Amino acid sequence: MSGGVALQAILSGLALGAAYGLIAMGFTLVYRLTRVIAFAHGDLVVGGVFVGVLAVLGTTPVAAAPGLARSAGLAVLVVAAGAALSAGVYFIAVRPFLPGAGHRSTGGDVLGWVAGGLAAGLLIREVLGLVLTQDAYAVPDPLRLGRLTPSGVLQLPGGGTVAVRTLGVIGIGLAVGILVERLLVLTPVGTAMTAVSDDPTAAALLGLPVRRLVLVAFVVAGALAGLAGLLIAPDRSLGVDDGVVLGLKAMAAALLGGLGSVRGALAGGLALGVIESLIVASDVLGPRFADVAPLAILLIVLALGRQGLRSPLREDPE
Amino acid sequence: MMVELAHHLYLLVAVLGLALSVSYGGQPVLCQGAFLAVGGFGVAHLERAGLPLAGAVLVGAVLAACAGYLVGLLTARLRGAAVALSTWAFAWLVYAVLDAFPTVSGGSQGLVRPSPARLHSPVFDVTVTLTPLAHVVVAGSMCLLTLAMVARLTRGPAGLEWAALREAPALATSLGVPVLRRRAALFATTAAVAAVSGAGITVLLGVAAPSDVSPLLSLQLFVAALIGGTARLWGPVLGLLVIAVIPPLADGLAGAAGLPAEASGGVLTAVALVAVPLLRVPVERFAGRWPERTRRPGERVEDTEDLAPRTAASREAVVLTARGLDVGIGETDILTGVDLEVRAGQVHALIGPNGSGKTTALRALAGALRPKGGRILLEETDVTGAGQLEMVRRGVTRTFQRTVGLERLSPYRQLLLGVRGGSPVPFAAVRHLFASESMRDHAAAADREAWRVLRLTELAGRASDRPGDLGASEQRLLQVARAVATGARVLLLDEPAVGMTGPERVVLARVLRRLAAGGAAILLVEHDLALVHGVADRITVLDRGRVLATGTPESTAADPAVRRVYLGDTDPSSARG
Repeated sequence: MSGGVALQAILSGLALGAAYGLIAMGFTLVYRLTRVIAFAHGDLVVGGVFVGVLAVLGTTPVAAAPGLARSAGLAVLVVAAGAALSAGVYFIAVRPFLPGAGHRSTGGDVLGWVAGGLAAGLLIREVLGLVLTQDAYAVPDPLRLGRLTPSGVLQLPGGGTVAVRTLGVIGIGLAVGILVERLLVLTPVGTAMTAVSDDPTAAALLGLPVRRLVLVAFVVAGALAGLAGLLIAPDRSLGVDDGVVLGLKAMAAALLGGLGSVRGALAGGLALGVIESLIVASDVLGPRFADVAPLAILLIVLALGRQGLRSPLREDPE
Repeated sequence: MMVELAHHLYLLVAVLGLALSVSYGGQPVLCQGAFLAVGGFGVAHLERAGLPLAGAVLVGAVLAACAGYLVGLLTARLRGAAVALSTWAFAWLVYAVLDAFPTVSGGSQGLVRPSPARLHSPVFDVTVTLTPLAHVVVAGSMCLLTLAMVARLTRGPAGLEWAALREAPALATSLGVPVLRRRAALFATTAAVAAVSGAGITVLLGVAAPSDVSPLLSLQLFVAALIGGTARLWGPVLGLLVIAVIPPLADGLAGAAGLPAEASGGVLTAVALVAVPLLRVPVERFAGRWPERTRRPGERVEDTEDLAPRTAASREAVVLTARGLDVGIGETDILTGVDLEVRAGQVHALIGPNGSGKTTALRALAGALRPKGGRILLEETDVTGAGQLEMVRRGVTRTFQRTVGLERLSPYRQLLLGVRGGSPVPFAAVRHLFASESMRDHAAAADREAWRVLRLTELAGRASDRPGDLGASEQRLLQVARAVATGARVLLLDEPAVGMTGPERVVLARVLRRLAAGGAAILLVEHDLALVHGVADRITVLDRGRVLATGTPESTAADPAVRRVYLGDTDPSSARG
């Protein structure tokens, strides 16, 4: 692969990775506060996008560029739909199975929230599938970044080209990711969330509203997922069933980032995006490994990777 | 109609195989569809490569078993939720591979094979055409065979190990059950059964298509296995209902509502998924009748029996030695330079304030923690860094501070588990399955040993009671008894007297002295100094990870450093102001 192609692949990988990173940040946030693996998280991305599109356009998606007002409405609605879906998943599929404050060591009813999360994701896919019967749809782009230059692309040194939209996606993704990470560190709500993730019992005893903070975490995670969908969807055709693999890729990113660190999740997302993009661009492997490789990475990292002491997925029975 | 029935019966076979991992092994496996794919596509490819049908099915099953063993080993160390995640990812990985490589999957059309299949036996010169009816017979008999085999396995040594695997993995290891290998073996069996089922479906339909083995199928099979569960008779019936009734019901409902039919099966599966955890409690309560009630094991009374253990070591020989042991958990150093000698026939008490590292020392000696420095010797052999399982095999095991229970196993069966874990018989489960003659002798010997330990620990009267009905002190005694049953020469006991009343502590002291008199070396972590002074031959006092003093109860009690640190005695000469 030539230098120009590699640079192009890395840039589009960073754009993809910024979206993965946003999804992974939400996944990590939820995991830190509840030790729940959010199985429905990827479906929030797709759910947010399609709910927003259906609400704004009133029809199944068409690629035609919407007007300015509709673009803004679409962007806001997609993010809001992600947040609302996430809150819904929390109330229906997660909260009934969480342990009471102070009993986290038992993990609550693990089978309950695993089955609940899987079912919630399936429900989102199937209900959307009743309306959206095609395999994939082209989704309109509310960001309209391509209009900044006449051709919508920039020449890269080495012969490659990059879409202006790609650079915009990297910028927005990183800006929002870093902003949310800073907010989690600097604001009182963020500090309270850190307290809950360290020790929910002590946090509850200090009078922190643990349940409400967990709900906030789910809402933020859903909003991030919706935004990621907004960034990622117009570049490719999106199908209702793509959510699961998106979610699994985000989990791989979170695990690469060490699981439990929101900053690490963003970095892991960028890394995974670049890896995937390089694999797709390489002559040896090619696009058919776009889903295969990240899923394999997820399995390997889960089984063999080092995991932080604070959030163990493993217990060594021997 | 016949085709559909055969299809459902084949899926039921896959559910019964999945129940081995899910209901008996306690692992939430979400990738049964992937193993169906291995069997289905495997048999199509192998047949194209020239293998006869039966050979292709067999090779496909072996391939799936190998893949299952590998995935099982990779996931064996994970917690339940992470197992669900990784198997779910594996299901999607296999689906993505089928999607990405049309040469493997035949594209969206799938791989077509001639149907109906004919089986030809050159030996008997008979040709059988596999009509749908023949498939129903084959699939039905496979269901019955799988059910019978699982039922027989649960009654034997495997059933005991499975109960320990799913209820208390750490305890299982301390009793000599190789948890990781057992989980992987269960996984491999599950995968092999799925592959046979997948092959059957391919032969029945004449095509192996990716859409037939989507991750949604994995979810459906998981729901069916969960609902079917371990219930022997009506479990499979319920499982079949999940497979056979949900899709047509969904189609019917969708048709009535005027919606596309093919998308609605998932909605009902989702509803069933949500219903499962809610249904599980009443289902388990219904299934949870006490199995021992019908068949109480008969106690053998042998007058001339001695209570001595099988391996009587010479008294007072040093059995277990720790030299300069450094142990840390993560970055934190817990123990520094700990020396310890445990002698045969003695009770050695390890005391010290909370957080002084007593339990950590016990875990390091049992092989559960790898020391950062120093050496552990068992008699003359260096066993530093040996794992827990190896230590159990060598005769060193531990009990836990918390009462770890096996709610579904009577004390007698729990001791049988310990006896079998301590001196394992190779391929015990398989030999039991085929009713090997030699297993009968092993079973008789294990039965005798279990009763000997029950009497030794004064639990013979509660042998077949429900563990939940035992008193707190009897449960603590049962923990000790389980460790003894492994045939351990060195017992590492972590606060066995917790929750015991005064008279119960007398019983415990009596049992401990009796075990020591039989030649066992006992290391006892305990807070109750009265018990320690009544029962211990030697005492080691730990403080903040270091040995403060060691010696006879009298000498340690008189040690001024011990009095200051442990007993809270202030020495006037060192007091400031």
